[in-house]
Amino acid sequence: MSIHLHELAVTTTGRALVDVTDLQLHRGRPVTIVGESGSGKSLLAHAVMGTLAAELRVRGSMSFDGQYLDLAHRATRRRLWGRTLALLPQEPVLALDPTMRVGAQVAEGAATWRTDRRQARTASSALLARLGLGGEVRAFPHTLSGGMAQRVAFAAATIGGAPVLIADEPSKGLDELARAELAALLRHHVETGGVLLTITHDLDLARTLGGDVLVMKDALVVERGPAEEVLDHPRHPYSRRLLAAEPSRWDHPWMRQHPTHTTTAGGRGGSRDTDAVLLTGAGLGKSFAGKTLFHDLDITVTAGERLALTGPSGSGKTTLGNVLLRLIPPDTGRVEHSPALAGGRLQKLYQDPAQAFPARVPLRHALGDVIRRHRCDPRHLDTLLGTLRLEHDLLARRPGQVSGGELQRLAIIRAVLLAPTLLFADEPTSRLDLITQEETVRCLMDQVEDTDCALVLVTHDEALATAVTGRRLTLHPSDTVRTGTTGSDQPALRRRPARALR
Amino acid sequence: MTDPNGSGGTSGTRNLGTSSSDAHGREPSTAQVRPAGAAEHEALQEQPGPRLLQGDPGSPGRAGWWTGLGRGRRAARGGSRAERAALSVLGAVVLFALLGPLVWPDPAAQDLARFLERPSLSEPLGHDHLGRSVAARLASATRLSLLLAVLCVATAAAAGTVAGVLAAWRGGWIDAALRGTSEVLIALPLLLVVLVFSAMASGGLWTLYVGLALAQWVEYFRVVRARSALVLGAPAVEAAGLLQLGHAHLWRRHLWPELRPLLLTLATFGVGTSILALSTLGFVGVGLQPPTAELGLMVTEAFPYWSEAPWMSLAPVIVLTAVLLGLLGLRRQDGTDRVDGTQGAR
Repeated sequence: MSIHLHELAVTTTGRALVDVTDLQLHRGRPVTIVGESGSGKSLLAHAVMGTLAAELRVRGSMSFDGQYLDLAHRATRRRLWGRTLALLPQEPVLALDPTMRVGAQVAEGAATWRTDRRQARTASSALLARLGLGGEVRAFPHTLSGGMAQRVAFAAATIGGAPVLIADEPSKGLDELARAELAALLRHHVETGGVLLTITHDLDLARTLGGDVLVMKDALVVERGPAEEVLDHPRHPYSRRLLAAEPSRWDHPWMRQHPTHTTTAGGRGGSRDTDAVLLTGAGLGKSFAGKTLFHDLDITVTAGERLALTGPSGSGKTTLGNVLLRLIPPDTGRVEHSPALAGGRLQKLYQDPAQAFPARVPLRHALGDVIRRHRCDPRHLDTLLGTLRLEHDLLARRPGQVSGGELQRLAIIRAVLLAPTLLFADEPTSRLDLITQEETVRCLMDQVEDTDCALVLVTHDEALATAVTGRRLTLHPSDTVRTGTTGSDQPALRRRPARALR
Repeated sequence: MTDPNGSGGTSGTRNLGTSSSDAHGREPSTAQVRPAGAAEHEALQEQPGPRLLQGDPGSPGRAGWWTGLGRGRRAARGGSRAERAALSVLGAVVLFALLGPLVWPDPAAQDLARFLERPSLSEPLGHDHLGRSVAARLASATRLSLLLAVLCVATAAAAGTVAGVLAAWRGGWIDAALRGTSEVLIALPLLLVVLVFSAMASGGLWTLYVGLALAQWVEYFRVVRARSALVLGAPAVEAAGLLQLGHAHLWRRHLWPELRPLLLTLATFGVGTSILALSTLGFVGVGLQPPTAELGLMVTEAFPYWSEAPWMSLAPVIVLTAVLLGLLGLRRQDGTDRVDGTQGAR
C-alpha cells in the first residue's frame, strides 16, 4: 500500500499555510517532515487526517489502494480512522482521557469493540503488555510518566490495525530514554509493513527513523531526500540553519566563558569558597506518595555560576528546583538564601510560558505591573524588546495569542527587568522547536551574561545542558545524585520510575 | 448594608491584602490596594442597575454598555439578534418601571367609584377592585422587584466573592467553616430560607432582602472558591509571587478577569431567581403585605375578578415573563463568551 497526496493546500483568508504539490508515502519507508513551528507541518498531518479546524480551507486529493479522496471533504476520512489512518497525537498526557483507565481506553480502538468487548479488552491488555505496560492496564493516565503515556497513546492509535500512522510531534517533552523507546516503536511499525509519516522538529528522531526527510518552511517543502543526505549534507540554506540550531552544534561566545567551577565527580557544591554563595541546600530530602525523589542532598549555588539539573522525567528535577526556590518545603534539610536574593532578585522561567502570565489580560498589563511595582525604567523594557527582537505590538495581545518562543522571551524580559542575581529556568525550551530554542537560549544567555546573574537550568536535554552550563547535577530515580563538570562521562540513564511526578 | 458594593469591594481587597504569607516588604498601602479592587468590583455590582438605564433600548449602539464589560472582546462580534431582542425587552421593562410613576403618580390612591373600570387610553390597564390605577401599581411593583432583586444579587455576589476568595486563599479552618456554612444553606431550599426569615418579621422589606441575599450568596461562594483555588494554584500566581507583585495585582490581573464572566452569568440568573422568589412569596401571601404593590401580590388580588377583568391578573404575569425572558437572552450570551475566553486563553 502506498499513499499519494496531490496538490495539497491549506489556506486561511487567502494566506497559504500548507502548499505541497506531491507527497508519496510507501510501506516500509518512513517519511519525516521537519521544520520550525508555524511552517505548516502539523497542519499537513491534520489535513490528511481530516481533523483541521473548520475555518481553514483545504484543497487537494489523496489516493491509496485505488481509492481517490477529495481532501476538501473532511468527512471522507472519518470512516478510515483507526482502520486505515491513525494519528499519534502530540502531548499524549493531554490526549488521553484522564477519567478512563488505560486498558479500557485502548480497548475502545479495537476492531471488535462494538461486537465483542471482552475480546477488545483482551487485545488491549495483550498490546499493552507487549509495549511493557502490562502492569499499568488498570492505571489512570495521570499516574504515568510522559514516556509511558506516549506508549499508551501508541497502543490506542495502532490497536485498530491501521497501516498508516501519522505521528505529530511524538517526542515533544520526552526525555532521551523515552525518545529512544518511541523511535523503536515507530521503526517497528515501519518494519512490519506500516506506512509512517512523522512530523517533528526533533532531528535526532528523524535520524533514527531514517527513510525520507522533508524540510518545510513557510508552507513549502524546501528540501527533500533520503534522511542521511538531507540531515548530513543539506543543500538549502534553511536546512543548514535548522541543523546548526541543534545544541550540540552551537557556537556562541557565551559558551566558552563558563566560570571555572569545576569539581571532581562526587564532590559537593563545587564552588570556590571565595565566591559569594547565593543559595545553600543542606541534607535535602523529598518524597511523594512513598517514593523518594532525593534524600540527603547538598547543593550550593554561587554568584554568576551556571548549573544544570538534569535527569530523566520524573526524577524530581522540578521538585528540587521548587524546594531550592522555597516554593515548597523539603521533607528534611533546609534551604538558605543569601540576602542578595531578596526583593525579587530570584526569578524563575517556566516550561510553559503561557501559564506563567495571567491568561486573560494583555501582556502589557503583566509587564506594566512589574515596572510600576518595582519602579523600573519603562525605557528599559523598550530596549529589551528591541534586543530580544520582539515587536512592541505583541504586548497588546493575551498570552494565548503569542507563540511559545516569543512568550518565553517576554518571560525572560519580565525576569530580567528586576535585575535578578539568580535565574531558575525550568525546562524553558523543551516545548520549542530547534531554531526557536536557539534564539530563546541566545536571548537568555545574552541577558545572563550582561547582568552576570547565576543560572540554574533544569533540562532533560543533555546537549543543551552541555552547551549552556558549566556544572551539572544529575538526579536519578534511585536516589543517587552525581555532580560533575558538564561534558564528563554521564552514567547510563536508568530505568525511569513507575510513576512520574512533576 | 446600605452600600453593599463599596463595602463588599473594600473588605474583599482588604482580605486579600492582609492574608499574605510572603512579600511583606513591598506591600503597597491599603489606599493603593483599594481603588483597584473596589472599582472593578463596583463595575460588576452596578451593571444590572444604572447601566441598564442608559440609552435608548433597541438602537444598534446599545449593545455597547453590556459588551463594554468584555473590553472590546465581544464588541467585535456584535450583538446577535436574540441578544438585542433581550436587551430591548429588558430596557422596555426598566423604562416602564422608571417612567411609570411620572404618568400614573400614586399606586395607592383609591377611588371606589372607578371599581374595575375597563382600560382606556389614559389608563391602559384600567382600575382594580378598590379603584386604584393598575398601571400605577404595576409600575411601582416592577420597580420594587427590580431594585430589590438587584440589591440582593449585589449583596450576595459581593459576600460570596469575598468569602470564596478568602476560603481559596487561606484554606485551613476558614475554608472549612465557610464551606460547612455553605453546605448547610445549600441543603435547604432557597424559598424555605426566605420563608423562615419572612415569618420571623412578618413580611418586611428588610427581612426579604436579608433572606434572599443569605440564600443566594452560597452559589457565588462555591463557584468563586472553586475557580479561585484553580487560579491561585497556577504557575502564573507563583511567578507573580516571585516578582513580588503584591495582592492588588493578583486580584486585578489574575482573579478578577477569571471570575468576571462567571459572576456575570450567575448574577443574571440571580436577578431572575430573586424576582421570582419575591413574587412567589407575595402570591402565597407571606411576602410583602398590602397595600404595597408587588407583582405576586397583584396576581393574588386580581384572581377573584378574573372573569370581569382578566387584564388585571395578566399584566403582572406578562411583566414577569418579559423580565425572565430578557435575562435568559443575556445569560446565554455570557455563556458563549466564557467559552470564547477559555479558548483564547489556551
